[in-house]
Amino acid sequence: MEQTFGDFLVSNFNQFWHFTGFYNATWQHFVMLAVGLFFIWLAIKKDFEPMLLVPIGFGILIGNIPFNTEAGLEIGIYEEGSVLNILYNGVSAGWYPPLIFLGIGAMTDFSALIANPKLMLIGAAAQFGIFGAYMVALAIGFEPDQAGAIAIIGGADGPTAIFLSSKLAPNLMGAIAVSAYSYMALVPVIQPPIMRLLTTHKERLIKMKPARAVSQNEKIIFPIIGLLLTCFVVPSGLPLLGMLFFGNLLRECGVTTRLAKTASNALTDIVTILLGMTVGASTQATSFLTAETIFIFFLGFMAFIIASASGVCFVKFFNLFLAKDKKINPLIGNAGVSAVPMSARISNNLGLEYDPSNYLLMHAMGPNVAGVIGSAVAAGVLLGFLA
Amino acid sequence: MKKNIFITLIALIGCAVAVSAQGRSGLKLNEVMVVNESNAIDDFGERHGWIELFNSNHAPMEISSVFITDDPSNPKKYPVPLGDVNTRIPKRQHVIFWADGRPSRGTFHLNFVLKPNQDNWIGVYDANGITLIDSITVPASLEPGMSYARSTDGVGKWEMRNDVGENYITPSSNNIIRAQNDKIQMFKERDENGFALTLMAMCIVFSALLILCLCFLAISKISERFARANKMAAHGVTAETKAKHATDSDSGEVIAAIGLALRDHFEAHDQESTVLTINKVRRSYSPWSSKIYGMRHNPRS
Repeated sequence: MEQTFGDFLVSNFNQFWHFTGFYNATWQHFVMLAVGLFFIWLAIKKDFEPMLLVPIGFGILIGNIPFNTEAGLEIGIYEEGSVLNILYNGVSAGWYPPLIFLGIGAMTDFSALIANPKLMLIGAAAQFGIFGAYMVALAIGFEPDQAGAIAIIGGADGPTAIFLSSKLAPNLMGAIAVSAYSYMALVPVIQPPIMRLLTTHKERLIKMKPARAVSQNEKIIFPIIGLLLTCFVVPSGLPLLGMLFFGNLLRECGVTTRLAKTASNALTDIVTILLGMTVGASTQATSFLTAETIFIFFLGFMAFIIASASGVCFVKFFNLFLAKDKKINPLIGNAGVSAVPMSARISNNLGLEYDPSNYLLMHAMGPNVAGVIGSAVAAGVLLGFLA
Repeated sequence: MKKNIFITLIALIGCAVAVSAQGRSGLKLNEVMVVNESNAIDDFGERHGWIELFNSNHAPMEISSVFITDDPSNPKKYPVPLGDVNTRIPKRQHVIFWADGRPSRGTFHLNFVLKPNQDNWIGVYDANGITLIDSITVPASLEPGMSYARSTDGVGKWEMRNDVGENYITPSSNNIIRAQNDKIQMFKERDENGFALTLMAMCIVFSALLILCLCFLAISKISERFARANKMAAHGVTAETKAKHATDSDSGEVIAAIGLALRDHFEAHDQESTVLTINKVRRSYSPWSSKIYGMRHNPRS
């Protein structure tokens, strides 16, 4: 029977209707779209890590537009050859995070750490958050490799979390990345109560000696020695540590200013946009809205609390062995997690709250950047043991 | 100039060493079958002895132009031809060469056959025909239908395999079949609560940062000493005068106070000098900028 023109139009409209988002939408898609909008709202209205939450939030919107996955349109992030899939390769193959680390290295001034190297130990102590969360994750029933990937959220370092989860548990990467970045944005909410709880009024008033001036030579030697020492101990941390210290050498050597500027500005911005957007887009409703994701968010929260608490407690313990005039203010202990420079700012603000003349920012930057190194080393250790 | 050439030469030698270090040493003889009675069949539907090579690197390896031989006195007996895309072995993968003596059948058909009931020496030489990458002597005692294989791909001991039980013959696949990650399984069985890993990992993280810390404590001491010596030299201070006058170090507060005082002294505008100075300004004349040429001679009323 010959098809009339009207039938032809109706059948094509019908086919088109089957391709639309309205037809393919499920309630999970709307939940995820709401999550994406919430992230964008947090970033724009509340100013919570806007550089991260805007790309991630919008990425969630992009990744959760419903469409007919069986149509073979090659538009989804997990469909090989699609544009989003090509951009996502930097996340799945793990080469965006080292590029971000290059930028972090080129942006970071390690002077505070070089001037007072013992602050590095605070950065090491705060990594207990990672391994504490690892034990809790095992107790909940995750496999050791999954537990390791989830626990790295405690390092408070988004690129490191993405790098490690892409190697150990690629199926959990979306949830881990979103969790890590969400908690990094919530540092001002999570850390102060822990810091208040674990310190006495007297301890919060400790004034630390101003750091000595660091010479140019020391700044140049630091990335070279830092790379050699840390990577000889943990070669599996090479992609992150190598790029971090390389970026820092570009900054400090004084003869590659243009490269350092590009690494710290244009390159970091480009990779941040791509990383944030693709991570957001990878959180598709079908794979994201599961019980596992809820556990991951819970474990991430635990890891953050343990990390912050262990940093503060370690400073208190360390103070037992220091002379009276060399005591460290435990309010900088939280900065051992590597959320740079947010957690150092929290230390400073809290210090000023109790003594308006007690500026802790530069002191807190020491453990803060040590936390970056520490979390990269911890990621290398987990990769070495569990990959 | 000579110095620059010398530095460039050293850099080039360094690069060459680095490149050779990442060469074909990862190419391994992995499994050999001399008499193939009921095992793998080639593209022509025939059974022949075979030699399995394994790329033990974690990166792809191009094996065209390497040599495979059964004669130590003729290392260039079979050159793996150029121009075949299949000679690029993916990371940790295998490739099979058929020892059928018929190289005209394709890249993976050798120009020699393996001889039953006698020792078969097999060698793989690098493109220069001199560097022996790997070799093995397959014993004469290897029975027909059995293979001679490494227990673990690329590294294990050589053993005879008869395809009975778990003693698999595995042409073009892993010699050891793994259904799970051994490391994960080990941690799962022996470290259920994660305490051991936590202890080890924290020790490693602490020691890495402790070493860095100690190193920079030492460097900062040395640097401070140098800085002090340079400062003294710049001010012409000797060790004796320093003992009398110099303080240990300038505190941040002192530096800040000096800085503030200097700023106040040079830049403050609270009180102006109240002296007016009128200087004559000379401007050289140029007809190009003369106002006369820019004005009308007869202004309209």
